[in-house]
Amino acid sequence: MKKHLLPLLAACMAFAGSTICKAADTIKVGVLHSLSGTMAISETSLRDALLFAFDEINKAGGIKVGDKSYMIEPVIVDGASNWPLFAEKAKQLLEEDKVAVVFGCWTSVSRKSVLPVFEKDNGLLFYPVQYEGEELSKNIFYTAEAVNQQATPAVDYLLAQGKKKFYLIGTDYVYPQTTNLILYKYLLLHGISLENIGGGLRKDDSGKVISAGKYTPFGHTDYQQIVSEIKQFAASGDACVINTINGDSNVPFFKEVAAAGLTPADCPVVSFSLAEDELRALPTKDLVGELGCWTYFMSLNTPENKAFLGRWDSWLKEENHPGVVKEKRAVDSPMVLSYDGAYLWKAAVEKAGSFDVDKVREALESETIYFDGPGGKITINKNHHATKNVYIGETRANGQFKIVKSYDQVFGEPFLLKGLDEKLAAK
Amino acid sequence: MKLPLVLALAVLLAGLTANPGTALAEADPVRKKLAEAILSEGGEQQQLLNELADTGSKAVVEILTAWSREGVFIFTSADNSKIPVILEEAEDSAGKRRALRIEDGQALRDSQGSELRFASSELAPADTDMRLRSVIQQALDTLALSMGAPDSRRSAALKLGNSQKIRYLPLLQNRLSKERNSEVRRGIEEAVALLELSGTDARTQIEAIRHLGQLRAIGCVDNLKSTIAKKGCAPEVIAAGKEAIRSIEDHIWWVNFFGTIFHGLSLGSVLLVVALGLAITFGLMGIINMAHGEMIAVGAYACYVVQNLFAAGFGFSVTLPFNFFGRPLHFGLHLPGINATGWFYETYFLFAIPMSFAAAALAGLFIERTVIRFLYRRPLESLLATWGISLAMQQCFRMVFGANNVQVNSPSWLLGHFTINDVSFGYNRVFVIGFAAVIVLATWLLLTKTSLGLLVRAVMQNRTMASCLGVRTARVNMLTFAFGSGLAGLAGAFLSQIGNVGPSLGQTYIVDSFMTVVLGGVGSIVGTVCSAVGIGTTDQVLQQTTGSPVTGKIIVLVAIILFLQWKPGGLFSIRSRSLD
Amino acid sequence: MFAQSKTSAKLAVTVLAVTVLLGLPALNAWMPAGSFLRVSDFSINLYGKYLCYAILAISVDLLWGYTGLLSLGQALFFTLGGYMMGMHLMRMIGSLGQYHQPIPDFLVFLGWHNLPSFWRPFSSFWFALQMVFIVPGLVALVFGHFAFRSRIRGVYFSILTQALTYAACLLFFRNSLLMGGNNGFTDFKFLLGQDLRAPATQRWLYVATALTLIGTYWACRWLSRTKFGLVQQAVRDREDRVLFSGYAASHYKLFVFVLCAVIAAVGGMLYVPQVGIINPSEMAPDKSLEAVVWVAVGGRGTLIGPVIGAIGVNALKSWTTRAFPDMWLLILGTLFVLVTLFMPKGIVGLPGQFLALRNRYAPRFKVPPAATEPAQELAKTK
Repeated sequence: MKKHLLPLLAACMAFAGSTICKAADTIKVGVLHSLSGTMAISETSLRDALLFAFDEINKAGGIKVGDKSYMIEPVIVDGASNWPLFAEKAKQLLEEDKVAVVFGCWTSVSRKSVLPVFEKDNGLLFYPVQYEGEELSKNIFYTAEAVNQQATPAVDYLLAQGKKKFYLIGTDYVYPQTTNLILYKYLLLHGISLENIGGGLRKDDSGKVISAGKYTPFGHTDYQQIVSEIKQFAASGDACVINTINGDSNVPFFKEVAAAGLTPADCPVVSFSLAEDELRALPTKDLVGELGCWTYFMSLNTPENKAFLGRWDSWLKEENHPGVVKEKRAVDSPMVLSYDGAYLWKAAVEKAGSFDVDKVREALESETIYFDGPGGKITINKNHHATKNVYIGETRANGQFKIVKSYDQVFGEPFLLKGLDEKLAAK
Repeated sequence: MKLPLVLALAVLLAGLTANPGTALAEADPVRKKLAEAILSEGGEQQQLLNELADTGSKAVVEILTAWSREGVFIFTSADNSKIPVILEEAEDSAGKRRALRIEDGQALRDSQGSELRFASSELAPADTDMRLRSVIQQALDTLALSMGAPDSRRSAALKLGNSQKIRYLPLLQNRLSKERNSEVRRGIEEAVALLELSGTDARTQIEAIRHLGQLRAIGCVDNLKSTIAKKGCAPEVIAAGKEAIRSIEDHIWWVNFFGTIFHGLSLGSVLLVVALGLAITFGLMGIINMAHGEMIAVGAYACYVVQNLFAAGFGFSVTLPFNFFGRPLHFGLHLPGINATGWFYETYFLFAIPMSFAAAALAGLFIERTVIRFLYRRPLESLLATWGISLAMQQCFRMVFGANNVQVNSPSWLLGHFTINDVSFGYNRVFVIGFAAVIVLATWLLLTKTSLGLLVRAVMQNRTMASCLGVRTARVNMLTFAFGSGLAGLAGAFLSQIGNVGPSLGQTYIVDSFMTVVLGGVGSIVGTVCSAVGIGTTDQVLQQTTGSPVTGKIIVLVAIILFLQWKPGGLFSIRSRSLD
Repeated sequence: MFAQSKTSAKLAVTVLAVTVLLGLPALNAWMPAGSFLRVSDFSINLYGKYLCYAILAISVDLLWGYTGLLSLGQALFFTLGGYMMGMHLMRMIGSLGQYHQPIPDFLVFLGWHNLPSFWRPFSSFWFALQMVFIVPGLVALVFGHFAFRSRIRGVYFSILTQALTYAACLLFFRNSLLMGGNNGFTDFKFLLGQDLRAPATQRWLYVATALTLIGTYWACRWLSRTKFGLVQQAVRDREDRVLFSGYAASHYKLFVFVLCAVIAAVGGMLYVPQVGIINPSEMAPDKSLEAVVWVAVGGRGTLIGPVIGAIGVNALKSWTTRAFPDMWLLILGTLFVLVTLFMPKGIVGLPGQFLALRNRYAPRFKVPPAATEPAQELAKTK
């Protein structure tokens, strides 16, 4: 017995040692979102979607690079809706934690404040939230909806419904300003006359229009005057409102709209920053029939989406990450685009065979990386934007969207202003 | 003497409890046509809807309204025939409702004859899109021309007029002869004039234009402008058109003027309710309470909790990220709801108001006893401490209710609006104005007619002397602070109706409430009222004139700063003989 | 003897502190990466930011602790200084922005083709430097002149400064002001010909900030020891007596107010190149409140207190947002309440508090022998 003890012990130790050695390596990825402050309302859901994606990837064996499997270890930091803090946290993630990739940002301000950090440190950022375009950084991949994947399809739909007057209203920052300027030129091109574009126009010294529409600051709550102006604008019956208000100002706006008796049948409102998540806080019974346009809706009736929602529900029940709310969750497009981004990055890393940013970027730019996400197939293009399906939906009383029109595989084009200017000049 | 009253009550009760289903079980051919319309498509559907619009049947109105709100479902029976049904209001214990066939108003039965019950998610709704809904709306408008409240009759007439479909002209003229209500008559006349405008005879056009000008029809300006801009339009028509447009635009100016005044009053009353509590605590104790905004949020959240208690119940659970000897700290609370429905549920707001007051008053009491009590001689430290408290409270809200905004539904009696001469007054705003007046009156009565109020005023004027005379200043402080916080809670209940309820609700109002208090004069109720109304009205007027919501606010702030240079004590400052 | 050792101890501590402060960049430059003593680039940047905040805190304390005026709007001047420097840095980007145009990016997406006239002089560094002093100073001068002339004091003054900063914040958020709107200024590339993102430039910026902080500290210390400083503290204690004594208190207050505005602006000027972004939310009322809290935690009425408070609280904030992102507001709020209630003199006053506590419960000082001699003499003569 004693003769065999030593070899037995050695065998046990070897076995134990090999299991420890076989334990997977980890790779750090950064999650940079506001978990407090005004944007926490929207951004905490993105963190949850990313955690879900990471848990799924890890359960399926992690990321395979070479002959090793790497488990994703998320490093979550809170930008606190404070843009300089976003830059600081981005620096921290890239320089201290040395993450391989960062998934983050919601507002264009936060993205623009971290852009220099990513370019300086050669990091990689996946940005999932619809934005105004006119940007292309070699360190950012935009799974977000570009203007031609959200704003212009919605306007096309409204024009097809016979709407002749468009009232533009938004929050005063780069995304609504740029989008409204693009839409203003787009509407002019499609024959809508100047006085049928409502909200006000501002011109520079030479008389050129530099700002179209009415703008309110973040967190603005008093929409009485604006809604009565819209009511007068819509009195003739064929008007609609294009709403790029961002954040929780949407709630007082829509409450005022409902109180003024402006029904979607008279004057529909198409909102670009309202998804199922935000609809939970609105009086949806009075807003049946308002419009939204995204590249994903929770009510999509495809097998991939149903399976995804099923997995999401079971993950919510089982997980125990701190801060994740389990009740009454809705899934919307930015969450799905975050989820898609995680899988796209995984695919790119596995194709490139390395976590190195330049190699991953090359793989992504080769236009062969795609993912069959809940919203349909999403492919990354050379211009760092994505090709995906676009859906137009009408709100229902239960806070979901009913899809009324869909466009397949729309190519994301960020630079629209120059083209529109040239076409207008040619007219 | 009592008998007629009892009879009247009985009739009323009978009317209230009348099953809406009874209205549906009649007029069979109409119902058959309705069922057909739901199942058909395209041009045939439109034709059927047009025919239904002429029937004037109440059942049609109910079902068409339900259809446009996705309340009509299609049940596919065993033999693959599609049966349109509507679900009853009443839910049984399993949450399922009886299905009523649209064809005959009877309950849907299966092959054995027992009634079928469904939850609304189990059936496929009858599809509608924007175009179909507008056709349904037109049918409803035609029907609404002779049914329903005056407001809806009027807007129905206007919509028919705006459709520019000449075939509605005889229908409208017919209705004009029967209509009694003056507002609705005006609307129908506008609609008739609009339809005549689209004709070709110059004389009828000029008549119509003059008529529109007299009626001050705001919605017709675009039509007028496009009519006179058409090529080949006679010069008299153009002249008449311009005249009419000018008079309508004058009218619009007056409508905007009164509208702005009303908006200013409503904004002012919101500011007033928010700032009144602060004026009292600030005036009495001289402490700057930066947690006042969070008291407002407490009131708003209390309203949310009451709303949930009236519905399905309220619960929360909080997990702290610390580990207590290896086990995570976890606590939660679950309160069952009473699942009220119908008009009883709508009364939740009346219960929520005193609850908001009580919750905020308790919170204020707690803060006062634990923290502020030690800071009376140090006003500037109280600012810091209360700011720390406000941060902590915001985080607590986030942990308990979530970082998201929560939805507080307005009760149905606060929704909607009424219009006087084209100026629209929303019910919730009118309610806020009314209640603000009541609150001011109540506070004034409290301060002038009760003994507590006497003590409060005495302490406000000279604390040490009041203490020498035997007033228990500590107790007065405590009660006043609780009262001020309670008022903030009431403000929160109102704000939940017009804005959103979230953890940072307080932050949006804190600076404005300070401005109002300081401008009005600390401790003076009349001052607070004047400054709140003044700020509200000025803000709205500036918004109207400058066209931008923010410029007005900036100008108001600068004006307050300049005003305070001139009168540092505010509008109505308390004069005292002390040096400071 | 005791007094002498106290001053020499103080001197030793001061020298040590200055050496550490100035020595950190050396550790960053010359220690190899991965070594324990290495101060990373990120840390140098972070410490530079803390020192800028310390300058802001000194300006708040000079007004509050020494003159008795609680200004809830110092962040306004800090941000204005930052904006002036930011405008220069935006001009220095040249055509290297996202749109490759010679005008700043935000003007391009707002539809402008040429530079508005008020932007042109900012290509010169010296002009921007002058503007850092002039613009905040002018705002402070105008506001202060009106405020102090009407003898606005105490709580009212604080609320007014809060209104001023709130109005300015709303104004700067507007894109029509052509100052970047909600985006602010970002994506800086060059300063005085040096690449802003190079570690060497960041080290020099750190050194400049540290030197400015030390210079400001000594200058304020000197000021508080002059006659001006005495009148200033008298104004804090009993303003009416100062008036009765014949001093024009409002002039003193105005001077201090403008001085503090300029100090804050200089802090902002150094802050912007290190953080890389300036945005109107830095002018929001809660930023100014944070500055006041740093001073309260550190200890007002002293000059080292605000420095300790600013660095300490910000370090705590950076740590808690990383370690307990869901809880940090709660921790911070509770901390402030406790500090206000139990540490009225702040951290700097803690030793004094401990000493007072000790003396209350365990008096241990010996009566010096010299004190009893006259009594013995007296006893002898009797």
